[in-house]
Amino acid sequence: MKARHLSIIAKKEFRGLFNERTILLAILLQLFIAMFSSFLMVGLTSMYDPSSLSKYSRHKYNIAYAGNDSAVLKYLESSPDFRVYSMDLSTGVAALKERKLSAVIYVPDTSPAAEEPVKITLYTLTNDLQSAIVDVKLKDIFLKYEKDLRLIRVDRLSELPIPIQVPKTTGGGDFYEFVYGLLIPLLVFMPAIIASALVIDLITEEYQHETLETLISTPVTFSEMVWGKVLACELLVPIQAGAWLLLLMVNGIAIENAGLILLQVVVTSLILILLGALTALHYRERTAAQFIFSTALVVVILFVLALPSNPLNILTRLAVGTAGPEQWLVLAATGGIIIILGYLTQKYAEKVGKSHHTG
Amino acid sequence: MGRLTDILTIARWEVKKSFTMMSREVLPFAVILFVLLVAVTGFAAQSGMHLQDGMYEVGVDDPQIAELIASDARFSVYQTDAATLGKNRNAFDLVIINGQLYNSQTERAKAAQKTLERDYAKYVNTVYNRETDLFAAYPLWIDVQTVKSELTFLSTQSGQYVQAAPSRKAPVPEGEISNVPTPSPALDFTKEELRQELVKTNAKNTQISRYTEVLSSESTMGRFKTPSQLSPPLPFDSIILVFVFIFPLYFTSQFFMMSIMNERIERKGEVLLSTPVASSSIILGKMIPYFIGMVAICAALTLYVRAPLIIILPLIPVIIFFLANALLIGMLSRSFKELSFISIFFSTVATSYLFFPSIFANVHVISLISPLTLIVLSVQGAPWTVTDYLYSTSLFWLTGAVLFYIGMKNFKEERLFSEKRLLPRFREFLSEIMNRQHPFLSVFLLTGFTIPFVFMVQLMSLTLFFNLPMPYSLVLLLIFAALVEECAKAIGIYTLFAQDPSFLTWKNLLAACAATAIGFLVAEKLLLFITLAQISESIFGSILFLSLGVLWMPLLLHFVGVLIVACSLKFWGRKGLVIGIVLATVVHCLYNLYFILGWIG
Repeated sequence: MKARHLSIIAKKEFRGLFNERTILLAILLQLFIAMFSSFLMVGLTSMYDPSSLSKYSRHKYNIAYAGNDSAVLKYLESSPDFRVYSMDLSTGVAALKERKLSAVIYVPDTSPAAEEPVKITLYTLTNDLQSAIVDVKLKDIFLKYEKDLRLIRVDRLSELPIPIQVPKTTGGGDFYEFVYGLLIPLLVFMPAIIASALVIDLITEEYQHETLETLISTPVTFSEMVWGKVLACELLVPIQAGAWLLLLMVNGIAIENAGLILLQVVVTSLILILLGALTALHYRERTAAQFIFSTALVVVILFVLALPSNPLNILTRLAVGTAGPEQWLVLAATGGIIIILGYLTQKYAEKVGKSHHTG
Repeated sequence: MGRLTDILTIARWEVKKSFTMMSREVLPFAVILFVLLVAVTGFAAQSGMHLQDGMYEVGVDDPQIAELIASDARFSVYQTDAATLGKNRNAFDLVIINGQLYNSQTERAKAAQKTLERDYAKYVNTVYNRETDLFAAYPLWIDVQTVKSELTFLSTQSGQYVQAAPSRKAPVPEGEISNVPTPSPALDFTKEELRQELVKTNAKNTQISRYTEVLSSESTMGRFKTPSQLSPPLPFDSIILVFVFIFPLYFTSQFFMMSIMNERIERKGEVLLSTPVASSSIILGKMIPYFIGMVAICAALTLYVRAPLIIILPLIPVIIFFLANALLIGMLSRSFKELSFISIFFSTVATSYLFFPSIFANVHVISLISPLTLIVLSVQGAPWTVTDYLYSTSLFWLTGAVLFYIGMKNFKEERLFSEKRLLPRFREFLSEIMNRQHPFLSVFLLTGFTIPFVFMVQLMSLTLFFNLPMPYSLVLLLIFAALVEECAKAIGIYTLFAQDPSFLTWKNLLAACAATAIGFLVAEKLLLFITLAQISESIFGSILFLSLGVLWMPLLLHFVGVLIVACSLKFWGRKGLVIGIVLATVVHCLYNLYFILGWIG
């Protein structure tokens, strides 16, 4: 196998990609997703923690309180979020329907120490942004009241949980897990999936457009051609994954160990690319190859995710900075699989190449 | 009648072709992979997903607490004595000494604490669920009654509230007061029923199942909740819907795309084209098996997750939209890799359009621009109206239809087997649907048909910019909306120009501009009238779809915009297109700005 031949094939494929401006599409795609993920950040933060929407939190919500006096009324009155009116239940619900109130609470005359639970009835509006926010704020008040009631009834409990005193959170941290534990590994790994689908296209194209014979008649051997295509796809991975990391950083998401992340992605992606190449060599037809490959991909990824310390998990841990030396072990295991797959690809390509020369 | 037989014959061929190809080579592997998939799913269900393992590091001095925290794989737990922990407090995200939690105040530590709090709450519930005196452990129950507001959606649609000005006096309802019966203080369920439900919800609240919960039906107790169960809907719920419903659709439309592409490779489709069958019949025939397949997949999935079958209704326009795009992508791309990239690009954009608005389901009316929201609502058992359906699906129906029309008109030899670049090919596709005898009517119609696409892009930008801080969102939306509209209007003129530059004499130029402006205006108002009244009345809508009142002003604006583009085309040729669009966008922005400022001030 000659390095020059490999680079000729790789260059040819890159030229093809640039000529068709498909690269342009890929870049556009990344920008688009990056733009949306920043939307996701702002939008979801406000969803999860509605008080972060300042224009809503400045607001006092009108609440009607009906029924008997209880600690709930006291909590509501001292809360900065609510303006409480003691009202008759029917009038309150009618005012709620006209959106003059945000919620109506009815408290029965059950005694706090009673055998039975206290059942509070909460009336809110369906399908409404406000009522979602009001629900979150009321939940805090109900939780406080629940704690009081539990304390009153504590003698009746037979087993108490191990206590942990938790300091009050200062906000933030809501999306950390989503961003680092889902978004980053998936986005950074996406180029690997794209590259492996691409290698199938590149190989089946030679068959289906019947350009293979021309290519074989040049000094380039069949297996060199396959490896050249694998090389071209592999080179795309660090470029795209690197672009992701950059875009995420521009979006204000700090990522540790960017270099090590790239290393893991580049090595792991070779497994997928080789799997793609093998599938393409076997089927020589795009629809079948892509179908089988994408099904196989689901199986492989699901299996890998179910293993502890899998490469995707290593990506997460690298990004948050908790990865230990086990990353090198994973890398070595990945390398081992690559050697096996590489050997298989070489043998298969040689076999196919021979049949082309003789037949 | 003959047409129908043609279509059915083609459909039969298509099924036969794909089955013979599939069965020989693919089927054995597909069966093996399916078996593997089932096995792997079982393995994954047992071993769990290990994506987020070891994200956080916790130091603990108490072995019981250590065991408790270590049950969540997201934590790496280190157990030593209190003194060592106290010294190395900042080496960990969280440290628990003598039952007191200390937080190292980094972003990661804050996230770790949130996760820990959730785990701890779950543990506490497990302990309380064992309690014989359940009502000592859970002394408070909330009965949530939702009330439908008698005001329409319109009142909250722009993200502002409709609420009485703050006052000391209690609000007095204006309408009739219907008697609301005093709720009984007793729960409608026995202690054991409640306990079972508590155990069930507590067990369910794991990493994966909180995403899947949206698909399982409501709990049997419905509205009875303990305070800790009282939480707003999780915004990520619709991610699972995207994967469950949209992913298979995307996958199947790939086959259709490939089937179209295969006809073009090495002119294989020539035989088909030489038959006396109309091209529209060929396309319909080829499409029908995939359409039926996709509907069947959706129905099967719906039955599988035990959701109401009505959710097929909002999915049908999505299916048609996917197929229409697959047809065009299959007809346009020159090579497999181009096909792959364009289809990945398309699916990402389409998925975002479907997914992002729907995370605001139940919260904001903007969510209704996505048909997925209707699915979320159906699954939750909330009703939606015919208007909602029209509102969220009309753009899919219309764009799907337009794309199909373009595909049908171009399904012939010289277009299918041409080797030109992507954009010139697309321009050729467009000029094909223009009638040379009636160029002005064609421009009028062409511009009119861009409106659904313009709306889609603009609505997408609306969801995109909606959450930015106020002045930026308005400014960005202003510029973007103008740009999109000017681009859409330029398409017709540019196509005319590219066909025959000499056609654009001054007289023809003016007439074409007028036709474009009128076409744009008429279609815009028509579609607005049907669907988008809800958005168009908010301040965002007023930028996107300005000026419902006077008609001659926007007409003049559209005319001037397209005139600028046409003139720069005439002066500078094709290079003038970009300059023209930029100039027209600036004019458009100034006009909008003038009106918005007037409107605000």
